[in-house]
Amino acid sequence: MRENGGPVVTDFNYTPSHQKQFLQPAVGTTVSSHQDLKQIVEMTLGSEGVLNQAVKLPRGEDENEWCAVHCVDFYNQINMLYGTITEFCSPQSCPRMIATNEYEYLWCFQKGQVPVAVSAPKYVECLMRWCQDQFDDESIFPAKLSGQFPPKFISKYVVQMLRRLFRVYAHIYCHHFNEILELNLQTVLNTSFRHFCLFSQEFELLRPADFGPLLELVMELRDR
Amino acid sequence: DIDITSSPKKLPAGFHEKAKSHKTQRVVSVCQMYFLDYYCDMFDYVISRRQRTKRVLEYLSQQRAQKSLGNERLNEEWTGYLQKEHEVLRKRRLKPKNKDFE
Repeated sequence: MRENGGPVVTDFNYTPSHQKQFLQPAVGTTVSSHQDLKQIVEMTLGSEGVLNQAVKLPRGEDENEWCAVHCVDFYNQINMLYGTITEFCSPQSCPRMIATNEYEYLWCFQKGQVPVAVSAPKYVECLMRWCQDQFDDESIFPAKLSGQFPPKFISKYVVQMLRRLFRVYAHIYCHHFNEILELNLQTVLNTSFRHFCLFSQEFELLRPADFGPLLELVMELRDR
Repeated sequence: DIDITSSPKKLPAGFHEKAKSHKTQRVVSVCQMYFLDYYCDMFDYVISRRQRTKRVLEYLSQQRAQKSLGNERLNEEWTGYLQKEHEVLRKRRLKPKNKDFE
């Protein structure tokens, strides 16, 4: 994929456009390099647009439940992905939760208080705990079969959660992509993020502004 | 365009030592296994659910053609099927994951 055939050089200039070229070979319809999975996918839905198909609401299903399942899935995926770079994302390396130098995400510790700048690991920790608290709240994510979702569940809770979870992808892409490449996790990261984008797109959950630092990358995934 | 050919890899100090550590190797392989499991399971679910729905719809249209079931009964059967699927989906969200036992 590299045009000049020169030495493999990973650049990291905090701009998504420079990362793009490294994303191209990995992002695609191949879900994983693992042969079994590739076969399963090819045998069943065909390798074209498997994820695009998989995010669609099953016939007759409640949209709230479908979104709730995906919130939990993306939460788990991001937890796994971030878990691999915790050694490299410390309060020293990342004293602020940023994605490129243009975006900084603040955390609000108490309702009504001014959001404050925290380190990236602190932000992720707070975010994950906040998600967990929502999942455990029976009035938001009902666990009983008789449990109902609250009114405006998607616009009030799902959108909010995805908007925040996205920021972890943004931080990883913008500040730890080289580590991800070295650990050979780029396929996993790209698949997860692509799945996240396709899902958000399918149900029109996130606005372009929510994709801030990764907008360019998101547009490319969309056109693929 | 910016020439990046001479740009060094910007990895944090001590990256390779940490990357080779047992702890990192372990979380990386757990992560890869997790995604492999997840996507196998997810595709399996999506595909088998579609097949189930297809079979139910075929059955219902057959019944309608033979006029062996009234419209009301057909609707009931369809709603009942959807309710069952809905319960399965909710359980998927709540099911204990392997990682809970690690």
